[in-house]
Amino acid sequence: MGRAVSPSFWSQLWSRNAGGYLFLLPWFLGFFGLTLGPMISSLYLSFTNFDLLTAPDWVGPANYVRIFTSDPKFSASMRVTLFFVVFSVPLKLAFALGVALLLNRGMKGLPLYRAVFYLPSLLGASVAIAVLWRQLFAGDGVVNDALAIFGIKGPAWISNPNYSLWTLVVLSIWQFGSPMIIFLAGLRQIPVDMYEAASLDGASKWRQFWKITLPLLTPVVFFNFIIQTIEAFKSFTPAFIISGGTGNPINSTLFYTLYLYQEAFSFFRMGYASALAWILLAIVGFFTAFSFLTSKYWVHYDD
Amino acid sequence: MSISIDRRQFLMGSTALLAAAAAGVGPAMSQETRMRLIFWGGQARADRTYGVTDLYTKANPGTTFDGEFLAFADYWPKLATQTAGGNSPDVIQMDYRYIVEYANRGAIAPLDEFVGNGLNLDDFDKDQLDGGKVGGKLYGISLGANSVAIVVNQTAFEEAGIEIPNRDFSYADLPALAEQWKSKNKRAGMALWSDYSGGEPGLDNWLRQRGKPLYTADGKAGFTADDITEWFQMWADLRAAGCLVSPDDQALDATDAIENTMITLGKAPMTYANSNQLIAFQAVNQDTLTMINYPRAKPGSGGGHYRKPSMFFSLGAGSKQLPEGAKFIDFFIRDPEAGKILGVERGIPCSKAQREAIAPTLDPQSQIALDYVSNLGDLLGPLPPSPPAAAGEVGVAFKTKSQEVAFGQQSPQDAGPAFFQQATEILARAAG
Repeated sequence: MGRAVSPSFWSQLWSRNAGGYLFLLPWFLGFFGLTLGPMISSLYLSFTNFDLLTAPDWVGPANYVRIFTSDPKFSASMRVTLFFVVFSVPLKLAFALGVALLLNRGMKGLPLYRAVFYLPSLLGASVAIAVLWRQLFAGDGVVNDALAIFGIKGPAWISNPNYSLWTLVVLSIWQFGSPMIIFLAGLRQIPVDMYEAASLDGASKWRQFWKITLPLLTPVVFFNFIIQTIEAFKSFTPAFIISGGTGNPINSTLFYTLYLYQEAFSFFRMGYASALAWILLAIVGFFTAFSFLTSKYWVHYDD
Repeated sequence: MSISIDRRQFLMGSTALLAAAAAGVGPAMSQETRMRLIFWGGQARADRTYGVTDLYTKANPGTTFDGEFLAFADYWPKLATQTAGGNSPDVIQMDYRYIVEYANRGAIAPLDEFVGNGLNLDDFDKDQLDGGKVGGKLYGISLGANSVAIVVNQTAFEEAGIEIPNRDFSYADLPALAEQWKSKNKRAGMALWSDYSGGEPGLDNWLRQRGKPLYTADGKAGFTADDITEWFQMWADLRAAGCLVSPDDQALDATDAIENTMITLGKAPMTYANSNQLIAFQAVNQDTLTMINYPRAKPGSGGGHYRKPSMFFSLGAGSKQLPEGAKFIDFFIRDPEAGKILGVERGIPCSKAQREAIAPTLDPQSQIALDYVSNLGDLLGPLPPSPPAAAGEVGVAFKTKSQEVAFGQQSPQDAGPAFFQQATEILARAAG
């Protein structure tokens, strides 16, 4: 044990962060035992044609070339996914923050409300919820029955290409629970005396929100933003269930992940689907890096 | 460094533990034969299938079955994954669309050596036997003959006092019938006809009546851009004449799942389907259902229908008990008692003896299916070659294109050439 005499880089790293690694252990096991192998083989497969039944056939970058030069469904599905990300993420975060602000006013029965609002997130991207959503928004579903009370004849939300994607956006917003909980925790961190001082100076609630709450909350907003955006890019189950795996009507719900799934498991082009997967990873990675780089201009870490 | 090594050792140790645990789960050694059987279908099919495996086990003690069934769309990824992993089941339900691919890749075993040697096909329908051949070798045994058919809500027609279309009904007769329907129909929100402009079997049937195949024997498109334009135009005219359900309603039926068809949702008193499905449709519909043929492309045209092997049993090429598998298939297709359990749920049995054994035991719906397939007459044409591997993908593109026309995003004149080009590209890509 020469550790105390000449601590190497690795043992220093270990002794400082042993606790952290211990907590990371389950993740390491999962990553090295389950995820890493398939990731490496999918990278390899992305340079092949592979239909599952016959051995992979090396084709070099052909899959990537086709994706970027002559695949109309790639751009169509990317548009659908970007639309979903651009609308669902900010709306969901705004909704989550709004509810968190309401709940943060020290009302009675807060734990109950918090649990109730969190519930949809727990059910999350499950098949059951998507099936339920399909029923609610069908042409003669509950939503249109409710609208009919006010004399409004609602459209067939999920089977009309003008509304189907919006239905999925609304479903995503409804699952605002997990960012809400995080916002709520963030709001609790803001010192009360700041608001007191601001009130004494005559600042309105609105002004307090913009000048105190939001700036001090930006690290939490940033965290939620990153997590939710990645989730939105990966979103698959609702579109799969609601469109029966087709992405129809007229490819209006053909999420990028759904297209990837079709290529892999409907048309058995595993190599091509692997290439699509790596492109998605690159896009999400690029986006996250970009967010981190720009964060210094708008995220305030108050030391 | 020692701690770092410890960590690695710990990782390796735990991995070994996991592996040991996984190995321990495997079945204990035993003398009995276990056959793995996989098929697509719903609960009704599973009940009948497992009824027969139980019967087989009773007659052949020591042979037991591990059955697995999935929905059609989920079935093929699963089977392909198992096949790729060298873990394919012994007995595999196979479709006409996939049998060439599986046979050519050596994933299913030729059955010729078992014919007359465990597998008796003396009274088996010749056309159904040929349907299971690839390159002259027998790879699948048809589990029943069926044909495309329209499932009709008899009760709704009777309530309206309108006669159900007869076998001479053509697409040209639809507008007149729709006028009658609008004035006499008693069901709220029920239009006369499903919008099947995106249904590949409907297109296939219509093209065949006009003397063209959907696909040629070498896997190319058998139609032209003009054919498709005409097809979409015909449906656009029917739509304009108020014969059809709305595009919104039709889009609810995304995958042909029986629960979401227009007839089950009560949007129309009929749905395009297959003859063996009448039983499954009746199981989820309260009204009495019956069956008619697809409409004539024009009055007097025929030959659109064919007696299709609804599905096959094949044997996995890697199976270690091929003779036992052949014996089981023989039991499945020939045993009279097995036939009574199976009925016509997979189509009309192809063994004459089994067919005659079950005839007196059929319920009215099954009898309708049997009569329908037996009496197609001039509607019947030859069995087309097995479709190319990319046919499924072309079908998906066809449905999407039909929605573009139905929702008014593209005219039939533009949609015809656009789809033709799409189909040509998809087929070329799969072939190349």
